[in-house]
Amino acid sequence: MFNAEKFIEETIAKIKKDVTSKTLIAFSGGVDSTVCAALINRAIGKQLVTVHVNTGYMRKNESENVKKLMEKMRLNYHFIDASKEFYSALKGVEDPEKKRKIIGEKFIRIFEKVARDEKIEYLVQGTIAPDWIESGDTLRDTIKSHHNVGGLPKDMKLKLVEPLRDLYKDEVRKVARALKLPVSEKQPFPGPGLAVRIIGEATPERTEIVREACDIVEKEIESAVEKGLMEMPWQYFAVLLPVKSVGIHGDRRVYGNVIAVRAVQSIDAMTCAFSKIPDEVMDRISTRITNTLKEKINRVVYDVTNKPPSTVEWE
Amino acid sequence: MVKVYVVDNGGQWTHREWRTLRDIGVDTKIVPNTASFEEITKDDIDGLVLSGGAPRIAIEGSLGNCGEYLEKAVFPVLGICAGHQFMALFFGGEAKPSKVPEFGKMELTITKQDTIFDGVPKKSIVWLSHNDEVTRLPDDFELLASSENCKAQAMKHNKKPFYGLQFHPEVEHTEYGRQIFENFVKICGK
Repeated sequence: MFNAEKFIEETIAKIKKDVTSKTLIAFSGGVDSTVCAALINRAIGKQLVTVHVNTGYMRKNESENVKKLMEKMRLNYHFIDASKEFYSALKGVEDPEKKRKIIGEKFIRIFEKVARDEKIEYLVQGTIAPDWIESGDTLRDTIKSHHNVGGLPKDMKLKLVEPLRDLYKDEVRKVARALKLPVSEKQPFPGPGLAVRIIGEATPERTEIVREACDIVEKEIESAVEKGLMEMPWQYFAVLLPVKSVGIHGDRRVYGNVIAVRAVQSIDAMTCAFSKIPDEVMDRISTRITNTLKEKINRVVYDVTNKPPSTVEWE
Repeated sequence: MVKVYVVDNGGQWTHREWRTLRDIGVDTKIVPNTASFEEITKDDIDGLVLSGGAPRIAIEGSLGNCGEYLEKAVFPVLGICAGHQFMALFFGGEAKPSKVPEFGKMELTITKQDTIFDGVPKKSIVWLSHNDEVTRLPDDFELLASSENCKAQAMKHNKKPFYGLQFHPEVEHTEYGRQIFENFVKICGK
């Protein structure tokens, strides 16, 4: 069985041995990168430089909360707002694999700049097993290029350190609990962020729509779980579909887009079953999304597919 | 400690097989299917799992060096998905594209009780992900379980400790998956 204490001890010892100079960690503030930062901080302390990039595709208030977390963890950090750069790099891009690769490269170019300025040799990433499994290799088909594996540019010179490579999320959470990190139960969020929750071009305007819808889904489901109406899903969010449908607002015709609500149960993301959300909760989600987003969204659907055959995120 | 290695045929769940074995307390390692039988067995292993993978057994008919392993192994072998289909093909059976492929959740019915299914009820939930299936069992094999759309869900060699499963016992959502792995490890430890 996986032993978190033993893993922490062995990993810190290994990092002390392998990582001999200044190191940069790509920090999203999720469970994986926070566990990595905590472990490496324990191993090499001030030699660790934490970098958080606001891609513009983060959830509502997320980057601000990440800043607070980095301060709470007393990390030596850089907070980089690169929203405009990411939006312009994804202009006109519709293909999901292209989106993922552009985002992966953009991240690395930002890290490389910090690394040059601060003479850093190593890049730490919170890569976990499903990231490299789904990114494919000589034996495996590419299901999707995770930005931190399949999205890495070939000419990258930073030396990669990935202490969580053989772990699944449930094991990372065990480590996070052992380290008493406040993010241990946080739901997963993909590195490419909301860009892969917008089917088609991820423009700033469409990002605002899905950001608001995701926030509503999260708040409503969390409140339903708190009231004991349903089990906490593994992941729960909204996807903006480039499909239009006819609706009616105050006796007038509207023609807006569709939001798909997605919520799944899983242990490790390798298989997932769609969550059973009570009708009353669905009702609130649907009414709030359509009333908040008005003429932009006039229809809400629920995704009832397991993984396989689908994946958790739509892209 | 029982030593069971996992042959990586490029499956999405190869690493899950490794994890399940590790969690049971087995000494385990993932080896690529390009390794020779000698390389794999120099560690004196007690059993082998042949993982699934993207190769279309019904179309391509090959799976790395799995043929060599099946020819030479004197220890138990568990073929999963593509590993199971290849096992059938290797011993003279047939694998073809499924009329109704199965992705996700299905009900498994055990038709013949066997050690590999000790503690597993006659009907249980299993998860699958396959385009091909075994359409004719080799002469030396017997059928152990079926689902609504796929007859050859589980098979066993009559003389050797070789098993084939179309479904995936290594994923969390397969109800008795871990039990099946524990049974296989017991068979390996004998």
